[in-house]
Formats: sequence, C-alpha cells, structure tokens
Amino acid sequence: MKKILETESKTRDKHILVAVDPSESSKRAVLYVADFVGGFPGFTVTLLSIINEPGEDFFETDDERKIWISNATEKSVTLLGKYRQILIQSGFPEEKVKTRVCVDAPGSLTELILSFQCDLNCCTVVVGRHHKSKTEEFLFGSISSRIIHDAKNCAIWVVE
Amino acid sequence: MNAINYTEQELLQMISLWIPPERIPRKVMIKDTANFFRVDYDDIVVLKGIPYFVRNNEREGRFGMEDEQKFWVKRAIDLLTGRVKILKWAFKERYKSRIGGLVFDCVRSPLKEARILKLVRGREDFVQGESTKDSAGNFLRILDYIRGKTLDETVQLKGKNHEDFFFNHYPGLLSEFIAIVKSIKFLHDNGEKHGDIRRDHLIKDSRTGIYRLIDFDYNYLHYENKFGYDLFGLGNVLIHITGRGDITTQDLLHNAPDKFSRLTEDDINIVFHNRVTNLKKIYPYIPESLNRILMHFSTSARVYYNNTMELLEDLGEVREGVLAS
Repeated sequence: MKKILETESKTRDKHILVAVDPSESSKRAVLYVADFVGGFPGFTVTLLSIINEPGEDFFETDDERKIWISNATEKSVTLLGKYRQILIQSGFPEEKVKTRVCVDAPGSLTELILSFQCDLNCCTVVVGRHHKSKTEEFLFGSISSRIIHDAKNCAIWVVE
Repeated sequence: MNAINYTEQELLQMISLWIPPERIPRKVMIKDTANFFRVDYDDIVVLKGIPYFVRNNEREGRFGMEDEQKFWVKRAIDLLTGRVKILKWAFKERYKSRIGGLVFDCVRSPLKEARILKLVRGREDFVQGESTKDSAGNFLRILDYIRGKTLDETVQLKGKNHEDFFFNHYPGLLSEFIAIVKSIKFLHDNGEKHGDIRRDHLIKDSRTGIYRLIDFDYNYLHYENKFGYDLFGLGNVLIHITGRGDITTQDLLHNAPDKFSRLTEDDINIVFHNRVTNLKKIYPYIPESLNRILMHFSTSARVYYNNTMELLEDLGEVREGVLAS
C-alpha cells in the first residue's frame, strides 16, 4: 500500500523540462508552458540552458575561453531569471520553478537535453521550433526534429 | 647535435647531397621561424634540431580559380635525410564561411591539426607528421609530402566515357570511397571533425595506393549535429565520383538540353543549387540503391545522414550490388 502511495505521489508531481536559448522560439515555448500549465497545482518546471562551448580551437588562449564561458553563463543566468519570473507570474509557486545552466561541448544538444530529462525524471520536454531552412537543417541538424525521434519515456512539446 | 650550430659551409655541403648543382645557392641563411613571411626560397629553418632547406610556397586551387599561394605552407627538404616535407606555420584565422546562403563561424586552428596528427600517427589513411613550436611559441607542423594524385585528378582520368567509367572503374573507386568514410568515422569516433572534406584534400599515395586525408586544421561552429558538415563533404565527394565530375545544370542546359528538361527542383543538390544530385536521370544505369544514397543530399531529401555509420551501412549494400553486377 505504501508503495502505491509513493508511486501516486510521484505521478502527481509532473516535472517539465523546458530547454531554452536566447531565441524568440524559446521565449514562445516558455510562454506556452506558462499559459498552458501555469496556476495548476502539481507541476514542477526546470528551465535548462545549455551553453554550447565552441572548444579550445576557437580561442587564442585558455583565459579567452574562460572569459567567453563566463560571459555566456552570465547571459544564460539572466535569461533563465527572466523566464523564471514569467512562469512564477503565471501561477507557478517559486519553489517549483528551477533553473539549470550547463556548459558543455556536446556532440549533440539533443542528447544532452535528453540526459537531463532522464536524470531529472521529467515526463515532458518542451523546446521551441527554430524554423531552419532545409539547408541549415541538413548541415547542422535540428533539435526539434531530432528530439521527437530520439526521446523515450516522455512527451515532447515542440512549440511553434 | 643542434643543426643551428652548423656552419654555412656545412649546410651548403648537405644541400649539395640533395639538390642538383645548378640549384645550389651561393650562400644560405638560417632564418628565425617566428614569421613565415620572412622565410624565403633557399633559406634554412631549424626545427627540432633538423635543418630544412626551404623551397616554394604551396598553392591551392579550387573551382577553376587560379592557384592561390599559401605563404604559411612551404615545401622544404630535410637536410639530414633528403626527404621532402611540408612545413605549415600557424596561420590563425577566424572567419565567416558562406555556403548555400548560410553563414557560419569557422576557424583555422593549428592546435586542432596538431591534435589530429597525434591521433592518426602510424595510419596509412592520413597524412603523417608532427608538430613543434616556432620561435614565437605557435604550433608549426612538419608534414610528409605525399606523392600522388588527388581524388578528382584520379576520377577524371578513368574511362573513355561515363558508361565505361561506371562499369569498369567505379566499383574500385566506390571501395576506396568507403575506406575514406571509415577514416572519417575514426575521427568522429574520437570526437574530431575533419572540417574541410574535399576531393582535393584526398591524395592517393602512389607508394601505398591508399588515399590519405590531408588538411584538418579547419573547424566550424556546430549546432545540433557536430559532424553534419563533414557528412556534407562526403556526400559531395560521392556525387563527384559517381558523376565522374560534377554535373551542373549549366552544362546540361548547353550540352544536353533533353536531360536538362527532365530535371526538377527535387533533383538538385541541397546546398549547391546548380549541381545535379539525381544522377540516375542523367545516367539511367546507375542502380537505384546508389541513387537513393545520393538523394539524401538533394533538395527533396526528407531524411539526412546523422553519422558515418548510417552512410557506411547504405554504401555496403550498394557495393555488394555494384560488384555483383
């Protein structure tokens, strides 16, 4: 009986992961979550910003690289703070809106987002759709296209 | 023994071992390695204790343009062994690359090439070499000079016409191309991009008969797919060898208007909109399975290759078919 109650408690506490960047489409994704779920009880949101670090080849010195990362982190923290406020204003309790900044040089941003989804046990991942040209998607890939193929055991919301 | 202690007379004697008498200069100077612009023909530079007799700057030409002189890349003779080497000075460059209407950040990184040279040491499918620091502390690469033809030179020379080429020479070329994809897979498996896969960056070593990849100092800022641009480069090479050169819409319009009239927008390259990708429309004997691979690089593609493994799987099936026929 105790086990069942624990399971129920977990399923009631839905955890949504929103992966954001400074784009307008990411902003739309946050606004969508605010509009759709804000004010309802039983939801936790983690806002995730991944800083795609270019790697040592792109910097003259290690100091230059560290400064780049520091600036990018600062921008991400500001952005996440702004989005966090949007969600709180939409009715999420403050303690239910978390933020994460991750600095990495990933082979695939999708893989990294899904590893966070797995670690945080999120039932839903939300991303904005960037409307890339075919050429751009061909050369550099698309997170929204790939994530809907690669995700397992969760729902994906791709916000137009 | 540090060669910098060699006298001019000793250096001239060493030069005379490897150079025809009429080419031996009257005097030579050992130049500092910090600035490649100050190192000229007939100069000596000393790297890792070895004196190198500098010859011409290397050149690179593409798309019918005049060969461009690369002042930071010089041919030289190792005066201890007589071997020809390529000395590649650090030429750091950060720039925007423009391709198919897209603009993206690129960098020329001596550090990347030095790292890959270490990774591929001893492999017959990559240029061999080592890196050292010039007197300013920048990475300078000492590369083996590869005697052989580039892939595009090889392709152009094979066959009387496309049909002869395709049935008699293509199966061998396809096997060689598959080996090239495996070489790139090795880089990707180790987290490295090539960065500039082009047919003139593939040289068939006349000593081994194996293609060697060269020039891996480019890097591009990737987004979702780290290796997408490399896969694009492989696709271009495959289309080039399958067509026995690039088939452009301009060529067809002038030389084969009937074939041109059969083309639609779906048949062209997803990035280079004047290149034909649907080669089966031009050469109907190209097997469907092969053409299907080519069409992954066309404007009509709905699915793209994400990695070299996917491409290799499809190529393997085609090779069996092509070799069996």
